[in-house]
Amino acid sequence: MPHQSTILAFCCTWCAYPAADLAGTARMDYPAELRIIRVMCSGMVHPDLVLTALEKGAAGVMVLGCRPGGCHYRDGNTITLARMEMVEELMEDFGFDRRRLFVGWCSAAEPDRFADMVRRMSARLERLQGAGEEN
Amino acid sequence: MAFRIAAQWLHSCAGCEMAILDTGSRLLSLLDGIELVHMPLLVDNKYHAPDRPPEEADIPPADLGLVSGGVANREQLELLQAMRRRCSFLVGLGTCASHGGIPAMINSWPLAEGLAATYENIESGTPPAAGSIPAPLDRVYAVDEKVNIDLLLPGCPPDPEQIHQVLTTLAAGTRPPARTGSVCDRCPTRRHSMADRPQVRRFVEAAAFDPDRPVAAMPCLLEQGLLCMGPVTAGGCEHHGAPACIGARAPCRGCYGPVAGQGNQMVAMMNILASHGLDFRSVVDRRAMLRFAGAHGLLRPVKPK
Amino acid sequence: MAKITINPVTRIEGHARITIHLDEAGDVRETRLHLTTLRGFETFVRGRAAEELPRIVTRICGICPWLHHLASAKAVDRCFGARPPAAAQALRELCLHLAHISDKILHFFFLAGPDLLPDTDPRARNLAGLARQNPELAEEVVRMRVQAQKMLELIGGRAIHPVAAVAGGFSRPLAEDERRQLARQAGQLLDFALRAMAHAKTEIFPLHRGPAAEAGAIRTGFLGMVDGEGNLQLYEGGLRLMQEDGTVTDFPAHRYDSFLAEHAEPWSHGKMVYARCWQQGFSMDPDRPAGIYRVNTLARLNVADRIATPRAQEELEEFRSLSGRPAQSTLLFHHARLIELIHACERSVELLAGNDITDQCIRTRARPGAGRGIGVVEAPRGTLIHDYTTDEKGCITRANLIVGTTHNIAPMNMSIRKAASGLIRGGRYDREMLNRVEMAVRAYDP
Ligand code: SF4
Ligand code: SF4
Ligand code: SF4
Ligand code: FES
Repeated sequence: MPHQSTILAFCCTWCAYPAADLAGTARMDYPAELRIIRVMCSGMVHPDLVLTALEKGAAGVMVLGCRPGGCHYRDGNTITLARMEMVEELMEDFGFDRRRLFVGWCSAAEPDRFADMVRRMSARLERLQGAGEEN
Repeated sequence: MAFRIAAQWLHSCAGCEMAILDTGSRLLSLLDGIELVHMPLLVDNKYHAPDRPPEEADIPPADLGLVSGGVANREQLELLQAMRRRCSFLVGLGTCASHGGIPAMINSWPLAEGLAATYENIESGTPPAAGSIPAPLDRVYAVDEKVNIDLLLPGCPPDPEQIHQVLTTLAAGTRPPARTGSVCDRCPTRRHSMADRPQVRRFVEAAAFDPDRPVAAMPCLLEQGLLCMGPVTAGGCEHHGAPACIGARAPCRGCYGPVAGQGNQMVAMMNILASHGLDFRSVVDRRAMLRFAGAHGLLRPVKPK
Repeated sequence: MAKITINPVTRIEGHARITIHLDEAGDVRETRLHLTTLRGFETFVRGRAAEELPRIVTRICGICPWLHHLASAKAVDRCFGARPPAAAQALRELCLHLAHISDKILHFFFLAGPDLLPDTDPRARNLAGLARQNPELAEEVVRMRVQAQKMLELIGGRAIHPVAAVAGGFSRPLAEDERRQLARQAGQLLDFALRAMAHAKTEIFPLHRGPAAEAGAIRTGFLGMVDGEGNLQLYEGGLRLMQEDGTVTDFPAHRYDSFLAEHAEPWSHGKMVYARCWQQGFSMDPDRPAGIYRVNTLARLNVADRIATPRAQEELEEFRSLSGRPAQSTLLFHHARLIELIHACERSVELLAGNDITDQCIRTRARPGAGRGIGVVEAPRGTLIHDYTTDEKGCITRANLIVGTTHNIAPMNMSIRKAASGLIRGGRYDREMLNRVEMAVRAYDP
């Protein structure tokens, strides 16, 4: 089941995506199961997208944007935060563990922070899957 | 030959059929031009001969079929399939048909538990057993999850005007115009801003409005902090110039189902609350936002943590 | 052993099938009325905020959603300790009577009426057939029914699946110009009801009396609502159980579970209700019934001492002089239905006469909290009971619903049994006989 380990990341075009780009050109090491979807702003990620991704088999979803105060549309990432807090709660209604969603920030110049967030998420999902198998 | 209509109710409440009757005197002129070949509420057509073991339900061929209600048991499924086979054009009438409707709320419970409460107070006799009653499906389905449907006409029930329009256009051989837009799109209330409403209020006290002035003078109910599902619900219910419930000074509960075919009204509404900075935790029972559209797998038993 | 199946029972307001089991000689051994859908409302209302229930339980029945709406609103008021203002009570009561009016027209003329058409071709035994034979009558009944529906829509925004009865009262007040319009329309409905009665007394009811009608007769007790003076009540009052011999037991509606109990049969989704307080247990044997009573029009007229509106009272007196009290013949439900139609019209006219109903104070604040509330109204199909328990957040933890039809399931089974055994002998039957079996069900208006 290859896509069982897919992590889908929504990255904003101004910070998270350039950071991912840099991480790539710098040949930084991060988990290969990541698939990136570029969005203008993390504030555009509708909850439906997150839930649909999980529904369709993604192991985890990341929503990554600019650091607080750094959103290029002023308060896009504040909305993201409020929204994703709500999505975490909804995930349980749909039978998903809330830890399968990761919300994080980095600036365009922080590829290491980006790679680190992906590694942390991948490790978290691995632990979750391990716990799941024990049951 | 007259235009033949067959109507079959499934997991329904008969409200959709009442809405057909509420087309009023036009009902009789409609009946004049068509032949109603099957409709258990009004016409004595039986599914089977009395002495034959039930095989395929006997539904006469029809140009137009109307099915109301979702699908919850084997018998309803067989009737739906028979309708599909016998009708050239099949309409899913009402929100139960298009999205499961209120009865699909049971989808939040595992099958066995779901029906147990009904018989909790029984002091004598035995609750129904498999075999002599139609076997339930694992959950309540919308009709388009089971067969191809040519047109879905949501609404709980759909407005009689719309039903009349759809029946007459189809009888005339054309397709009715598609419906678009949300309940809010057709709501005349005054809108200003959501800014100063941190909490969602329960509808246990009256909305603020001036009883001597028309509904257009009332401030939007959502902006009043009442949970109004207008933004995430398909429009089409208005009469006397306002969505039906808003006219009664009561918030919309979403009975026309999601604005776009397969949307999730709960997710969409919670998103609106969260994006506008309302405390989404102040919603007492968010699953009830899916009360009309729990089919298509949207409502399901919550797994214990 | 042969089995005859009538599926579906048509021109009734729900899903049902009848099976008739014959013995070796081809005589009726057993009959069953199977109600074939179960939707689980008692389960899925759990966890819901109680004030939402009046807008959810309407979907139990699209033909009398107002009755569920109102019983539910009453139950929620009691859970939350709210007392609706007088104008709200008047508006609710008005809506209840208007809902009875449209329902009675529907049932009498659209569903049961076609059985009385001389044409026996089953394909013509319906509204369209009626329209061909008597276009003016058909036009008028369709128009009058819709008029009552439109009146409900004007008052509460929606006629089917209403929203206007809310915890603590009503969602909007009635305006003076609306009141005047409604009063005029209610007068028209009353005129129609009186004409319908006059017509039925010469053309229809004579057919309901005499030996043919007695064929399907069963003898049972009755249940209905009355006020402190013994007047027929549909919206608010106490309950009265009457035994076959006419002795009565009065009890407050909220104590229903001390007087009534529920029974289930493995072949039907419908729960059955019986009189616990008679201490006979439960039996549907038509020759030796136990605990069985009936509800709906005939039952209400049997238990009531009188009707508080004059024209309906006149009709009741005449009815009693012909049929006695309690009247038992099932077909008399139809006559009783038209008497109640007149009463509902008269009561609507009364409620719309004064200015009290336009008072703008229509809602008090309801405080969600823990409690139990029992809301009872008389629905067209019989005594309707909504019994809710809430937790400290005001969410439902338990709901017990006894809908009008439920009380009549056992008696319907008995009537079917009687009708079938009287008609089917030696394994011979035809469509007409089977329709007569169905007519025994239609009288109850399930
Ligand atoms: S859509 Fe509404 S009115 Fe139609 S059958 Fe379902 S519950 Fe009844
Ligand atoms: S939220 Fe409700 S009251 Fe406000 S505009 Fe939309 S439908 Fe109207
Ligand atoms: S306002 Fe909402 S709940 Fe009311 S009728 Fe319209 S769509 Fe249905
Ligand atoms: S642009 Fe990066 S979060 Fe808004």
